[in-house]
Amino acid sequence: MRTPRPSSLAWPWKRSRATAVGSGGEGAIRLFHVSKSYSAGSFALRDVSLEVGRGEFVFLTGPSGAGKTTLMKLIFAAEHPSEGQIVVLGRNIARLGEAAVPQLRRRIGVVFQDFKLLPRRTVEENVGLALDVVGTPRRKARAKVFSILKQLGLHHRRYHHPLSLSGGEQQRVAIARALVNEPEILLADEPTGNLDPELTVEIMDLIASAATRGTTVLVATHELDLVARYGKRSVRLKSGRIVEDSPRGGPVR
Amino acid sequence: MNAMNSWTAKLSYFGRTAYHGLRASPVTSTVAVAIIGISLVLVGAFVLLIANMEELLDRFGQDLRVTAYLEAGLSEDRRRELIGIFETVEGVESVRIVSEAEALERFQAGVGRGEALLEGLDENPLPASLEITLVPANRSASGMERVVESLNGLPGIEELASGRDWVEGYLRFVALVRGLGIGLGAILALATLLIVANTIRLGVFARRDELEILSLVGASRLFVNTPFLLEGLLQGAAGGLFALLLLYALFRLVLPGFEFGLEFVMGGISPRFFGGSEALALVFSGAALGLLGSGAALAGDLRR
Repeated sequence: MRTPRPSSLAWPWKRSRATAVGSGGEGAIRLFHVSKSYSAGSFALRDVSLEVGRGEFVFLTGPSGAGKTTLMKLIFAAEHPSEGQIVVLGRNIARLGEAAVPQLRRRIGVVFQDFKLLPRRTVEENVGLALDVVGTPRRKARAKVFSILKQLGLHHRRYHHPLSLSGGEQQRVAIARALVNEPEILLADEPTGNLDPELTVEIMDLIASAATRGTTVLVATHELDLVARYGKRSVRLKSGRIVEDSPRGGPVR
Repeated sequence: MNAMNSWTAKLSYFGRTAYHGLRASPVTSTVAVAIIGISLVLVGAFVLLIANMEELLDRFGQDLRVTAYLEAGLSEDRRRELIGIFETVEGVESVRIVSEAEALERFQAGVGRGEALLEGLDENPLPASLEITLVPANRSASGMERVVESLNGLPGIEELASGRDWVEGYLRFVALVRGLGIGLGAILALATLLIVANTIRLGVFARRDELEILSLVGASRLFVNTPFLLEGLLQGAAGGLFALLLLYALFRLVLPGFEFGLEFVMGGISPRFFGGSEALALVFSGAALGLLGSGAALAGDLRR
């Protein structure tokens, strides 16, 4: 199903960074004693400390309400921690000014369970949104969108609207949007939650392939089969606390 | 070069997004344009009225003069002496004597067919007078006042008359119309701002998913807001243009129907429409209203 990635499309900065600091040498995401509470006395996250190295692939597991989504939101600065420090790609989230938040988000791709696609825009326009915000010239943007859609096997659907696509195809569009800017971190919050089991594997393969190219990948899921299948590091949350951090496993597949 | 390409790409995105936004809600957009248009028609009509009244005042000012009625039986020498005195007064351009006979002739020409009025008069009841034309700078209520004051009390003069009262009355009327225009304009501008702000807010609400996604992919606040500001600007400019066309249509088609009233207010001077720069100012006012309205809508907390 997956189209092999042509070597010319490898992301050059990834290679240079790997040489400079080494894969996983410097934390892409670091949390120090982070707590988040939305109302007094009730914590969504409590005293969480976590380090995810560059290029690392980590599953975030736990039941609904364990704090997985809150943790993701803190990482892409959609929320601020109530206590503790978060450093993402060398930037302290608590000290980010309003203007710096978009800059950080351009280095992070995000994928959600509900895809978050714009129904009135075509597949090409949806994916191109991530390039529009950084002012990529139109011709170059179209070429990049075509290239990523081709890798995800969706280039023939680029003029379709999301609602005419299947769930799996919609999630692939969302992944294309998250990856088109060649992000340093990919966050996926229950990316397969709305999909059939066959599609789940297909989508997870795509996400895992980003990690092989040097992108730090954090996937929140409650599907333990999936975690077992990929044999990667998994961090288990329960009631806002980390209760287990099992070591990194073998290769992606 | 890269920065320029990037800006061209962003401008193209803003244009496309504003266009999509306007197309996505044609009814609300049309209502906003119509409301801006109607407000500007009302304000524009007041501006036109005031401009024409001021022009009228200007034209009448050319004819304003002070008349000094002379006492009956004043000698020729004294009359010439008075002319000499008047001509030295500051602000006076020229002095002309109107004899009793000339005054009667003018009166007869003025009343026209009402000649019967004069029958039965044995002698000419009209006095001779000196008509004093003022230098242009003094052709105003205060200018006339100054001249009248310096001539007052000279022996041989029965009465000094000027159009001062009329000018003052007309000025008060123009000031009233202008005050009304400014008041109405301010209220309409405020109402229009609120309506445009509300229209844009509806647009923001309708597109909150898009804003959330834009924010997720790293769009700055300026990047998110600009298409909405552009929409407001375009709606405002369209409203201004609509107002201009409507005013022109009213001016050309409806105004001639009120010829009598017009004659009364304008005293036979044909009213004028906006010039090129004034017409442009009207369209720009619309654009500014639209821009301010959308700015006000976005000033609140957008979804980040």
